[in-house]
Amino acid sequence: MSHAQKGRVAAGGKGAAKAKKAAGGKKSENDREDTLQAVILADSFETRFNPFTLERPRCLLPLANTPLIEYTLEFLAMAGVADIFIYCGAHTTAVQSYILSSKWHPSTSAASPFNTLEIVKTTARSVGDALRDLDSRDMITGDFLLVHGDLVSNLPIDEALRNHRERRVKDKNAIMTMILRAGGLGEHRTKAKGVTPVFVVDPTKNRCVHYEEMHPLQAHKYVDLDEELLKDHKDIEVRTDLIDCGIDICTPDVLALWAESFDYEVPRRHFLHGVLKDYELNGKTIHTEIVDDRYAARVFNLQSYESVSKDVLGRWTYPLVPDSNLVAGQSYKFERGSLYKENDVMLARTCKAGKKTVLGKGTSVGAGSVISNSIIGRDCQIGKNVTIKDAYIWDNVSIGDGSNVERAIIANEAVIGNSCKIQPGALISYKVGISDNTEIKPNQRITRAKRKRDDDSETEEEVPSDPSIVGPSGHGYEFRDAEEFSDDEEAAFHSSLIYNTQHLNISNASISTLSSSLSSVDEPTGPRSRLSSFTSLSDDGDNEGFHHDAVQGILDTLHEHGDFDSAKLEFMGLRLSNDATDHQIRRAIAVAFSKHISQLVDGEDQKTEASKAAASAFATSGAVQFLKNVALSTGTEEDAVDFLRCLQKDAANRSSGPLVLAAVCQRLYEEEVVGEEAFLRWWEEAEGMGEDEDVEMKRVRGKTGVFVEWLREAESESGSGSDEESEEESEDE
Amino acid sequence: MPSLQAGYAPNLGFYLKSLKAQPVESSIENLISLLKRRQITNSRPCAVATAHLLLQVVAKFRWTNIDKLIERIQDVGRRLIEAQPREMVVGNIVRRVLGMVRDEAKEDRNDDASDSASNSQMGSPRQEHIDQGASHLGGPPPNFSPLRYSTTDDSDSTEANGDDVFGGKPQAASRPPLITSHTSYAPAGGLPPQKSMFQLLSANPSPASTPSGAQSPHNTSNLNATSLSHRITTSTKDLKAEVIEGIEEIVDELDQADDRIAAQSLEYIHSNEVILTHSSSRSVQKFLLEAAKKRKFTVIIAESYPNDHEATHKSVTRSIKTDAEGTDELTTPKFSKSLSDAGITVILMTDATIFAIMSRVNKVILATHAVIANGGLIAAAGARIIAKAARVHRTPVIVVSGVYKLSPQYPFEFESLIEYGDPGNIVRYQDGALVENLEVDNPVYDYVPPDLVDLYITNIGAHAPSYLYRIVADHYKTEDINFDKPELQ
Repeated sequence: MSHAQKGRVAAGGKGAAKAKKAAGGKKSENDREDTLQAVILADSFETRFNPFTLERPRCLLPLANTPLIEYTLEFLAMAGVADIFIYCGAHTTAVQSYILSSKWHPSTSAASPFNTLEIVKTTARSVGDALRDLDSRDMITGDFLLVHGDLVSNLPIDEALRNHRERRVKDKNAIMTMILRAGGLGEHRTKAKGVTPVFVVDPTKNRCVHYEEMHPLQAHKYVDLDEELLKDHKDIEVRTDLIDCGIDICTPDVLALWAESFDYEVPRRHFLHGVLKDYELNGKTIHTEIVDDRYAARVFNLQSYESVSKDVLGRWTYPLVPDSNLVAGQSYKFERGSLYKENDVMLARTCKAGKKTVLGKGTSVGAGSVISNSIIGRDCQIGKNVTIKDAYIWDNVSIGDGSNVERAIIANEAVIGNSCKIQPGALISYKVGISDNTEIKPNQRITRAKRKRDDDSETEEEVPSDPSIVGPSGHGYEFRDAEEFSDDEEAAFHSSLIYNTQHLNISNASISTLSSSLSSVDEPTGPRSRLSSFTSLSDDGDNEGFHHDAVQGILDTLHEHGDFDSAKLEFMGLRLSNDATDHQIRRAIAVAFSKHISQLVDGEDQKTEASKAAASAFATSGAVQFLKNVALSTGTEEDAVDFLRCLQKDAANRSSGPLVLAAVCQRLYEEEVVGEEAFLRWWEEAEGMGEDEDVEMKRVRGKTGVFVEWLREAESESGSGSDEESEEESEDE
Repeated sequence: MPSLQAGYAPNLGFYLKSLKAQPVESSIENLISLLKRRQITNSRPCAVATAHLLLQVVAKFRWTNIDKLIERIQDVGRRLIEAQPREMVVGNIVRRVLGMVRDEAKEDRNDDASDSASNSQMGSPRQEHIDQGASHLGGPPPNFSPLRYSTTDDSDSTEANGDDVFGGKPQAASRPPLITSHTSYAPAGGLPPQKSMFQLLSANPSPASTPSGAQSPHNTSNLNATSLSHRITTSTKDLKAEVIEGIEEIVDELDQADDRIAAQSLEYIHSNEVILTHSSSRSVQKFLLEAAKKRKFTVIIAESYPNDHEATHKSVTRSIKTDAEGTDELTTPKFSKSLSDAGITVILMTDATIFAIMSRVNKVILATHAVIANGGLIAAAGARIIAKAARVHRTPVIVVSGVYKLSPQYPFEFESLIEYGDPGNIVRYQDGALVENLEVDNPVYDYVPPDLVDLYITNIGAHAPSYLYRIVADHYKTEDINFDKPELQ
């Protein structure tokens, strides 16, 4: 910082007096430098905390009986941030009313350490949209901190900030510094499970040169490094041990970059990856600050909710621990063995409140109950002979006599009857009632949230309780992700289709099996990945520039309902100049179509059915011809299968992927772009992979199964016709 | 400017700067959050911040009567103590200020009351205010009306019971000081003055009441100086100035405590002695440096791993300003000499070898975090081992502490005074297996019972642990001791 200041003074310095007089603007710029701004992304744009986040935003979920955003704001206050912008998407009003009634808002509370705090409501559907919106608002005046609303950290950032500024003075292109916590090479509860972020860092310059995310189920178990990287950087560290706590020190240039590339959605997988790939083009560098002291982690899914809770109770986050009583009105006291008890807790003489436990105010525990490793909120009624182990119980919950709760989350105002058994992984949402003697199976998610009806009306309807799950007198039904887009879609693609393996990403149990296979991912990132970078030149990872531009071009055409004839010219030009392979072309086209359609399907203002969206995309003039001539120029079955695979791969990354894929397949068949044979072959290949198949890939083609079934039946019924067709195709070859 | 450049994280320096500009309420809240976030820690910074804050509170608070001011200070104090009860100096400073305000107020009243009675008046007005609260007092404090006595008499005698525990005198007895000037108005219920004075005296010897020390010189001088006219014009404004002056005195005391202690060092450290100390305390370091000017001796420093070892290492080799960065604002390092620069032989060793080396040690000097009224102390973790080892070897243990660290509180469970810090100092967080499977405790402080300590050296002299109660009585008023716990009053 001091360097920065000096540099500026020296630069503008010849007539200091003149400068002062002339440039009032300049002075204000300096003033601004003296305060620190921060942007909190309070909406995660994810659904990992469903069903809880149906009714409450993630940042207000309690962690150790304190809402998550409190930790984030404490961190920012600790860092001495002056101006805060909170970006909210869903549940803006809840966040707003919480902040206004908390100590943080400078206009309502004298205790606020911030100069300004602004809550921005956005219609954004991704982090990228939110940041592009931020860019357009022009509120950011200098370097700022970008954090998520679920950050728990006690890191002092002064040093990182100083390093960032020093780099910045030396090189204007050093646009961003990511703060990462070293997590050690062994297994660690707080490290991301499932998806491993891989940071390739040049330790001499603390520069991140490559980023990728890997997960144990993907077929391609290598990180592809560009040959150039190895030439340019003498030392390279490939690190899979880092806990990405999502604290970024950004310059305004970062926002400009987000604005330029509007297909970036998430900060790491898209933005970081993309910017690093485009280093040759824009010359921007991103740096890392790897700390191995103090604590920093995000609560980004339920597993991390559990691990960060444990860290808080183990005092790793000190001073952000319950007995610091960060929120006004708390009165936690620490007792040896990490028992945190608030005032007015009533414990029966024969109950055992064990170690690593938090008990909120007004909670009473009946005789003979045993509580260990659990967090219990305020005003909970816990009956006699209850066993609670590793559970997270929020406020106003009542649990009947003789019940047993293990490793579950029970949200506010839930009522558990007598002698119930809640199995590990169960999530019981707000106000759910479970009647006596009911057993909740592992990983079951129960909610009472009203469901939005799919016809455009905003009305929400109550969902009838499901007695087979919550018992005869209970309230609640089992929550399923896919239900959000059910009814109408079901009509198109049979209701029986609803199934998903997405909960795999969430449930505790399934992840523990994943983590064992994680170690195998860690290994090959070393020397082998370097080898592979030489061999995989023609693979997906390369020629990203072409892919990017091509996708953009097609998307533009689709958006504007333009003419594909001119788009085709442009496209072929691009192809020649980039020397793109056929596969890359197909991939680009597949991505563009799937993206366009899924955008229509997920559209903010009006949701379109997948089939209609697909139809409209194909209706663009020349689209079908374009697909036939460009994507499948050779007309061979291999190409068609490849095209389908590209589609599938892309759809796998989208929330509405299964629907989009099914709709596009149907269209492709109807418009006679892809023949039956290709479909069947593609399907068989996918089926044939069996266990090796990526979970996401499997999920995404789920809904297409019906279509393929139908094709098969049609084939067997009118066998001759389709045979002819396939013969025609083979003749073409 | 330069300190601003160092970073944005708030600390004591930032806080003191912000005090003037900010409204009082946000300053209070600000200090509360800083205490909660442990961005101001350790006795001295906490004491300095509290004193400066109270200065602002008094300066900016509009008050017409002294009870309102006392209430206000109590209220602020209560909130600060709640924020971080383990920094006991915060409460100490608040109590000191409260006591000082009461003294000033009493002087004020003494002016109004007749001279002859003033001696017997000690304590009675303030006793009354505590019990009655401000609601009873219509006008400014100097209004002594017999009417008021008659109305409150009954309720007071019952309310006063609580105070008796601390050696306070019965309300009725202390009441009638007004005889000389106002006898004619005195209610029938009033006791004969003579009797009441006897009772007063017999009640006074309790250690908790504060008849002597600081206030007595004031009393006498003021009595002589006051004239009737002066009494009448005495306004709250003068009182305010006096209170502010009083707080400034406390701030000065904080500043000079270490030097005062160091000045006594030659009496305790002799040539060629071997002295054992631990952790990096400014007080101890100044103490040793002062002695080193005249004498040659050896210092063994236990590094007090894991919470303070880095600072300890630095203090051995580099300048003294290790105490928490926030303080350098106030203590622009007058000494930049380290112990080794001063010509002392310094031996640094791990905490584990304390017992082994104790047989060679002539004296143990301990720094402290807080001193409790019973003579025990709260000090950096490891202090108790040292004291215990010293006891076994019959090595004298000297504790160096400013009076401001001396707390009148006597907690029933010492465990509650011990802060548990970041386990990351002991086990690296990267070590996933350890983090998952171990419980790691990192107590920051230790409790050392009084029988392990031989001598306290404070800025007002040297005392035996058993004498500390006396100093407590000199510095704090009984009614302030438990002001933060209404249930005990």
